[in-house]
Amino acid sequence: MQRKRTKTVDDPIFEVRDTTVSFDMERGESKVLNEVNIDVDRGEVLGVVGESGSGKSMFASALLDAVVDPGVLTGDITFHPESGEAIDLLNLSQEQVKQVRWEEISMVFQGAMSSFNPTMSIGDHFRETLAVHDYDVEEGMERAEELLADLYLESEQVLDSYPHELSGGMSQRALIALSLVLEPEVLVMDEPTAALDLLMQRSIIRLIRQIADERDLTIVFITHDLPLVANLADRIAVLYAFEFVEVGPAYEVLTEAKHPYTRALLNSTPNLETPREQMRPIEGAAPDPVSVPNGCSYHPRCPLADATCERDDPPLESDTPEDGHVAACHYVEKVPETVPLTLQEVKVNE
Amino acid sequence: MYILKRLGQAFVTFVAVITVTFGLIRAMPGGPADYIRARVMRNRGSEGVSMSEINSLTEAYTNFDPSTPVYVQYFDYVTNILQGNLGQSVSFAGQSVNSLIIKAAPWTIFLLTIAILLTFAVGIVLGAVMAYREGSRFDTGSTVLSMFVNSVPYYVAALLLVYVFSIQLSIFPQSGNYAVGLEPGLTPIFIADVFYHAALPVASLVLTGFGGVAITMRGNSIQEIGEDYIRVAHLRGVPGRRIAVRYVGRNALLPMYTNLMISVGFMFGGSVILEQIFAYPGLGNYLLQGIHARDYPLMMGIFIVITAAVLICILIADLTYGLIDPRVSAGEGKEAY
Amino acid sequence: MAETNSTFDATDDRDSTSDGSAATRSELYKEWLDVAVLAPLRIAWNDWRTKTGSLIILFYVLMGTVGPYLVPAPTQGQGPQLAGPFQSMSYPLGTNKIGASLLSEIVYSTPPVLKMILAGAVFSTVVATIVGTVSGYKGGIIDSVLTTLSDIAMTIPGLPLIILLIAVFEPESPYLIGIFLVINSWAGLARSIRSQVLSIRDHSYVEVSRIMGASTPKIIVDDVLPNIMPYVLINFVNSARGVIFGSVALFYLGFLSGFSNNWGITLNEAFTNAAIYSLDGIYWLVFPMIAIVGLSFGLVLFAQGTEKLFNPRIRARHAEAVDDTAPYEE
Repeated sequence: MQRKRTKTVDDPIFEVRDTTVSFDMERGESKVLNEVNIDVDRGEVLGVVGESGSGKSMFASALLDAVVDPGVLTGDITFHPESGEAIDLLNLSQEQVKQVRWEEISMVFQGAMSSFNPTMSIGDHFRETLAVHDYDVEEGMERAEELLADLYLESEQVLDSYPHELSGGMSQRALIALSLVLEPEVLVMDEPTAALDLLMQRSIIRLIRQIADERDLTIVFITHDLPLVANLADRIAVLYAFEFVEVGPAYEVLTEAKHPYTRALLNSTPNLETPREQMRPIEGAAPDPVSVPNGCSYHPRCPLADATCERDDPPLESDTPEDGHVAACHYVEKVPETVPLTLQEVKVNE
Repeated sequence: MYILKRLGQAFVTFVAVITVTFGLIRAMPGGPADYIRARVMRNRGSEGVSMSEINSLTEAYTNFDPSTPVYVQYFDYVTNILQGNLGQSVSFAGQSVNSLIIKAAPWTIFLLTIAILLTFAVGIVLGAVMAYREGSRFDTGSTVLSMFVNSVPYYVAALLLVYVFSIQLSIFPQSGNYAVGLEPGLTPIFIADVFYHAALPVASLVLTGFGGVAITMRGNSIQEIGEDYIRVAHLRGVPGRRIAVRYVGRNALLPMYTNLMISVGFMFGGSVILEQIFAYPGLGNYLLQGIHARDYPLMMGIFIVITAAVLICILIADLTYGLIDPRVSAGEGKEAY
Repeated sequence: MAETNSTFDATDDRDSTSDGSAATRSELYKEWLDVAVLAPLRIAWNDWRTKTGSLIILFYVLMGTVGPYLVPAPTQGQGPQLAGPFQSMSYPLGTNKIGASLLSEIVYSTPPVLKMILAGAVFSTVVATIVGTVSGYKGGIIDSVLTTLSDIAMTIPGLPLIILLIAVFEPESPYLIGIFLVINSWAGLARSIRSQVLSIRDHSYVEVSRIMGASTPKIIVDDVLPNIMPYVLINFVNSARGVIFGSVALFYLGFLSGFSNNWGITLNEAFTNAAIYSLDGIYWLVFPMIAIVGLSFGLVLFAQGTEKLFNPRIRARHAEAVDDTAPYEE
């Protein structure tokens, strides 16, 4: 089946509204996700890009209502399953949580090796997961073997192994299989390839794409690596300082980025074709969650910043254009000339 | 291959210990030969004792003939011990060291087994509960208590217990392994009495030992609770109870298996003072009697046996750890120290 | 987290410290000293256990050094026989069977114990550090030999060996006794130092020193030792505790001659005479016990307070507290 390449969201599987994650710190409240709003379309691959400490892992945890203590998650996250009624994710009973997590919305973490119990075989992880969710274990294990085989793993051998006996790439693929064994609709992936070498990253990305297409999966793919999602995502959302600053179709975001931060990000990305002297890091430091700058949070690092930026926080959806490409910047029109893209071409798979 | 290497290493260690005891016997002021000569002369008067007779007597006692060159003495000594012949006791006339050890060892092993099992059972449960309530008042209190008991030497506890519960309150017997006049056998009365006599020695080891185990278990568990796979397991829907037992508990416990085996060695060493305080007729007690009576064969024999016991325990820990903890593949073997 | 890396790969943060060639070796060394020794000590000091432990240890050091000048030596007839505690300022902790003040006995026991602790802890720490670093850093045959030696030393049950040695050699100097008491306890420490060194050995800054042609001893002293200092400190404390346990035991058993006062001797006297007296006489037994347990509790507290420095998780949590960033992400 050829999947659609979404530009706008017309059948949302997630509606995230005013969602905030905050920690009470000694020096004040620390908002590590600040009233974000975003929709995730059914069947799309949404790439969420942000640097370390931009709140992207919190966004992932929020989608599973799995923010670790003492973090407090507020706002609204509505999940629309394929069939049945909409589910208010943040107001579920224990029992409902169990029916949604992993069964409907599943997650793959970075560091697959540390996601497995080192003293349990991979197969026992599958069996345990099936059993606690009251699935038919035998049938489930057949599915597990298929999944592993689809991921180019020797399923029997992998199931009998202990986590430390697998290589990084193997355990990452085994973890993906484990997250899919209950046939969820959504897979949230938090830096699933961070610990792998480049070749392995690319091949895992290809596998994820394949699996998403075959199984009609919705994937939220969280990463710091913008070029990596270029080949995978239908849409890209850029997080900066705990807020989304730009959302749009992958190709548009990569070639015609509207937000100065996104462009700076693209310019800082190592690329074989870019001359070294044109590659530049973004000046300044990412903001601290306790004291996010007033106004536009990017203004201290932005070449365009003026008094307006210091005062007013630009909203993300001032007016949603046809192509669904929006950015939170007061001076969207001026961005292309002030922050030219050094990167000549982004390869997006066709 | 690994097993062979470990066995070889254990053998080398054992021979090294025998060598140490040989060196010690030789280093004794006067040495055993003088001592035995003096003994024989005292018994029979100075006449009629030939040098060769002294030498052969010494050989019977200590496994080497002082008239031969040192390397021959050493060789004789080592081979005799490796063949299981520990010589004759000097102070217990007419008894071989082997027979004394066979008589004493079961009591020491009985005492230590119970003490070690209890120490670890109490410590592990307490440590796990503390870890799960990290930061609570219970945790803080238990941590301080554990650190405190950990800083009490077991013999100090023993003295206090004896003083209070036997000498002053006469609740528990002060010494011995069973009541005088009781017929040894598998009778309920006898068995009950043996446990009754073992209560205080065991209590002094357990009361001072569980704290260290609890602190280790707590630390291990807290570390496990913080691992990613615990969080993933929660998300996968694994019930908290199962996570506590199968994930945190098991993974925190496994590395302590080697601790358990090593503490066997420590407690064997400690049995010396403990058995002295309780006049408990185990190995440690005989070791002290041997030292006081300058009974070289007896003290060296017991020392060698204790070392061998520790060696075997560590060897077992080393060779079996890979079987119980899949994180360690048998080839590498986790170092037991 | 809030560091200045703005490229997207959050790689090695050490790069920022060694950027350019401006940083000289001594600056680097100072930085390492700060990172490896001072910062951990500062962290440790914030812990109540370290503080309490240090104060207790200080108290005993004062008792062993200044104490004998303030308290009269124990003699027969300092007070009535078996006077209870807290009755007279001339024997505040009561007297024993011959009327000697218990406080005097306890105070005069301290200096030899401190000497034994000092000698024993220094000996075992130094031997262990040398054996551990050399064997870990050099590897190869030297490593195999030293490791086998440590294994042998570790297997021999300590107390019986010590008793045998003391019985044979009858040492009288407290320093020598201290060394006898740790005769095989250095081995365990050497093994753990070795594994620490093994992980440090492959760090890039050690490699740099090696490529620059620094000699092995220089690398060990400059690059390796600062990293294992806190670890060594804790083990110093632990072997000190071992010395106390061992020495008091030997005194109790009567193997150490040449000392008139020790907590162990007091214990033994109190215990042997226990049967004769009622429960009122328990103070005679309890005060030396408090003296023993107090010092070792101080040492345990100190060690526990500093030990958390080696738990990466607690350490990381602390680092976060210092950076004041929230405990989330990466």
